[in-house]
Amino acid sequence: MTERLLKAIAAIVDSDSNSEKKPSRMSPALRLAVAVFAIVLCACSRNAVFVITVLTVELIRMALLKPDRMIYVLKKLVLPIVFTLLIMLPAVFFGHRSTMLTVTMKVAESVLILLLVNEDLSWKEITGVFSEIHLPSVITMTLDTTVRFLVLLGRLAERIHEAYLLRSLGRAADRRKMSAAGGILGTVFLKSSKMSQESFEAMQCRGYNGAYRRLSRHRFCIWDALYLCAVPMLVIFFIITQKAI
Amino acid sequence: MHIPDNYLSPQTCAVMFAAAAPAWVISVRKVKKELPPEKVAMMGVGAAFSFLGMMFNVPLPGGTTGHAVGGTLIALLLGPYASCISVSIALLLQALIFGDGGILSFGANCFNMAFVLPFVGYAIAHAISPNWGKNKKRDLIGAGIGSYIGINAAALCAAIEFGIQTMLFKDASGNALYCPYGLNVSIPAMMAGHLTLFGLAEVVFTVAVLAFVWKAAPDFDNSTVKAKTALPVKILLGVLICAVPVGLLAEGTAWGEWGADEISGTGAGYVPKGIAHGINYPALLPDYSFSGLPDWFGYILSAVVGVALLVIIFRIISYIASKGSRYDRAVA
Repeated sequence: MTERLLKAIAAIVDSDSNSEKKPSRMSPALRLAVAVFAIVLCACSRNAVFVITVLTVELIRMALLKPDRMIYVLKKLVLPIVFTLLIMLPAVFFGHRSTMLTVTMKVAESVLILLLVNEDLSWKEITGVFSEIHLPSVITMTLDTTVRFLVLLGRLAERIHEAYLLRSLGRAADRRKMSAAGGILGTVFLKSSKMSQESFEAMQCRGYNGAYRRLSRHRFCIWDALYLCAVPMLVIFFIITQKAI
Repeated sequence: MHIPDNYLSPQTCAVMFAAAAPAWVISVRKVKKELPPEKVAMMGVGAAFSFLGMMFNVPLPGGTTGHAVGGTLIALLLGPYASCISVSIALLLQALIFGDGGILSFGANCFNMAFVLPFVGYAIAHAISPNWGKNKKRDLIGAGIGSYIGINAAALCAAIEFGIQTMLFKDASGNALYCPYGLNVSIPAMMAGHLTLFGLAEVVFTVAVLAFVWKAAPDFDNSTVKAKTALPVKILLGVLICAVPVGLLAEGTAWGEWGADEISGTGAGYVPKGIAHGINYPALLPDYSFSGLPDWFGYILSAVVGVALLVIIFRIISYIASKGSRYDRAVA
């Protein structure tokens, strides 16, 4: 479980460094805003038509991904869908089969939109959006450093735990595992304060003065204008579908 | 030609599944062995063409409709085994998501449209043009005649499957339990449409798309070229998706695809018990439509969903197959 959690967090950070992601052609802020807007509209929709239509658009976007990324997205999509189906299963016994399907589709649609945003935007671009919308720099920095430190400290904790297990022999060692957790966490805490101090000093050396600025700023382009058209189209289609059915 | 649920007895459905299963197994083995993994993704494009072809309904005087299948087209582009798998998956999507064709009768539909149609069409086309690829004009004539005979062979199989139900399954009062029409009605009714307009639609669809693909994307069926869907093929798919509402101009229901409420009005005079009390699978987008929204919109959306899903499925299969083959090569 810990390993899977670490892998998930590491994937966010690593996606910046080793992926073939090109910088987004359209504004990341706009991309994120439209995604959130579509999710909100889908959540507000009183019928399945709007949800299915948005889901169809996302399916087209998914069909254009590389096959390995498609598999990654599908794997991530399975758990929320199964979980929602299980939660909504009692609705079927009360004769509301369509409710179960609608809610499941809404969940699938929301998760798929976010997964595809994650495919398009790097972690740097996402944190860049926070500074673009004038979120206090301390929040952006805390978020950014938290995710990075989670990976570093998680890996450290895992290594210490593994070292402890290698040195423990016999069944008695199993009983002592929990008592060792305190020691491991304490060591990790001490290490984290040392690492934060080192990070601060390194940042000061690079001219950090408390402001968390973006070095490059996205300029409004034709792609942004085209993407912006999606907003009124979404709203109009939402109104039509809510009135028609 | 999509046989709905309850028109064939469960026993017939089981026999048809058993008949289709060897075709699936052999096709999968042949495709794994003979088709380069990179080309498997092309099967998705082929399946998408077949899916869209089946949405263009052609009307026939008398109120019935029919459509092209495109099985011969895929067989000539990628081979009959690839066509068998592509059409089967397109039929599966139609049955599960759009309620077009039954779940129990899936084996029968695959036997007719995914096995008989492409193999007959492919064999005839290659018999007419033995040196395939050398003389394009002769190839196109072969493709046209092959697709015509292929779809008629498939329709004949469907007609026989419908027709034998009255002979085999009757209730105590002598009424049919499933399809109420015997061979004397089902064969003429099915073949009249397929020997004329529906057969012609299959010929036009096969020859037109084949000629376009050869001209615009000559590498599409060349197994030595690394597979990538050419832009003209993508544009053709887009044009076909936008044009699918044309299929709505044909009013009426295809012969043998009536609902339980329609069947007594077709001349049967009663609703067979098997149809009245049979299974009723509630599809997500029944009849390619949304209640409350225009039919054309539902039709286009269904086409997009079908094409996108087929492309995703086959690209993933292609990726997994290529990973496996790379590993096999490395081990060897």
